Amino acid sequence: MWSWDFAISILPQLLQAMVVTIEATIVGFIVATVLGLFWTICRRSSIKPLKFAVVAIVEFVRSTPLLVQLYFIFFVFPTFGITLSPFSAGVLGLGLHYSTYLTEVFRTGIDSIPKGQWEASTALNLSKIKVWTHVIMPQAIPPIIPMLGNYFIVMFKETPLLSAISIVEMVQAAQIIGSNSFRYVEAFTDVGVIFLLLSYPASLLFQYTERRIQHRFDLSVKASKIEEDHYATNK
Amino acid sequence: MPRTSDASLLNQEPYVKYRNIGMKFGDTEVMKGINFDILSGEKVAMIGPSGSGKTTLARMLMTLEKPTEGTIEIGGKLLWHRRANGKLVDANLKHLRQVRGQIGMVFQQYNLFPHMTILRNVMEAQVHVLGLTKKEAEDRARKILKKVGLEHKCDAYPAQLSGGQQQRVAMARAVVMKPKIMLFDEVTSALDPELVGEVLEVIREIAEEDEMAMLLITHEMAFARDIADRVVFMADGQIIEQGPPEQIFNYPQHQRTKNFLSRFSTEFH
Repeated sequence: MWSWDFAISILPQLLQAMVVTIEATIVGFIVATVLGLFWTICRRSSIKPLKFAVVAIVEFVRSTPLLVQLYFIFFVFPTFGITLSPFSAGVLGLGLHYSTYLTEVFRTGIDSIPKGQWEASTALNLSKIKVWTHVIMPQAIPPIIPMLGNYFIVMFKETPLLSAISIVEMVQAAQIIGSNSFRYVEAFTDVGVIFLLLSYPASLLFQYTERRIQHRFDLSVKASKIEEDHYATNK
Repeated sequence: MPRTSDASLLNQEPYVKYRNIGMKFGDTEVMKGINFDILSGEKVAMIGPSGSGKTTLARMLMTLEKPTEGTIEIGGKLLWHRRANGKLVDANLKHLRQVRGQIGMVFQQYNLFPHMTILRNVMEAQVHVLGLTKKEAEDRARKILKKVGLEHKCDAYPAQLSGGQQQRVAMARAVVMKPKIMLFDEVTSALDPELVGEVLEVIREIAEEDEMAMLLITHEMAFARDIADRVVFMADGQIIEQGPPEQIFNYPQHQRTKNFLSRFSTEFH
């Protein structure tokens, strides 16, 4: 039934498709991050119509299936004169869909910044852009890195949906191998193992960064404790 | 220390003018018809029970809270408004940024930037707001940190400092911008009692050396009496009485002032 030779012989083909999977994940995540930040900032805007428009877009995208969005971008956009390659349509769809989740993550990070940080920025008369880039974001991002990492992995595992718009990523490649050779077991097992080998280390990496961030915060608290004790004993 | 005499109080054009200020939170009116001046270089101490509106007045000047009524003028310019075709309209952000450059504020909770070293905390606005080079900003930052006795902490992060030290950095960060008026909003209230002294000492130094006006909201009565040219007593969103410290502390005219001060009487005997 199971043939090691076959399982190994199809690896080059699958690894080629893996490159597409990884590319789609990374580019899609960049799109999701940029769009997600954009939504977050629009939702905080004082311009009411912009705010409501963005809230509506985010709710709409989040409440409809990614697959439908992919079909829409790839098959319906051309009727409006926007024709995209499968890859562009794919990363746009992935990015757009996940941006609506990431905007919530960014919001959590930004909301966790104490009001005093904004007030101190006003008192120092920093410009709006400097407040965001120098004061708020550098503090908002580190604590949400684990959540971002989690969405990165979820998105990675969602890339097989891209096969629906004719992108030959890993699952599609396995499908092709299977239908040509009738050996689906090896093909899909290989794909499963590759996914595992990629996403598990990735999740370990994010856990590690999470611990390091925690560690850093602990350190600063500990340092102040150490100093207090130091003062107490030297009085 | 120079004390503003009553005569000059009358003759000099005030630097800050609050006119007919009112404040509503929803339907609750917390402040009404406040008129209040601060002269150039004048050190004003504001005392009164919590919730009397002292902090709100300071926050209005720092453009953190917009008065629902009235106008504030600073250095002859309207703060929250501008004139268009003879009418008052709300000022835009550009105008606010232009005018509030004259104002500095130190907060109860220090509000240092926790992700920046002490040195960078003091440099940041110099570079991005005053447009100084990094070199100039660093020189000035080191100089002022030395003045508040923290030059050895330049590379530390705020969380590694005691509350008193953090508050001294916050003052250095505000003073280095050379504002014309500094607001101190209960800057010692969050501190352990044994750390209050070091912070008051820095304020005293700034008050003695610097030309800038000061609005000091405080519960440290002895300190207020010591450094202020004028003491203002507020209660229930109103200025009840004001005058030179000797007058307010020794001969308060109003019953409310007397009641309030009697709680601190041990400090004076």
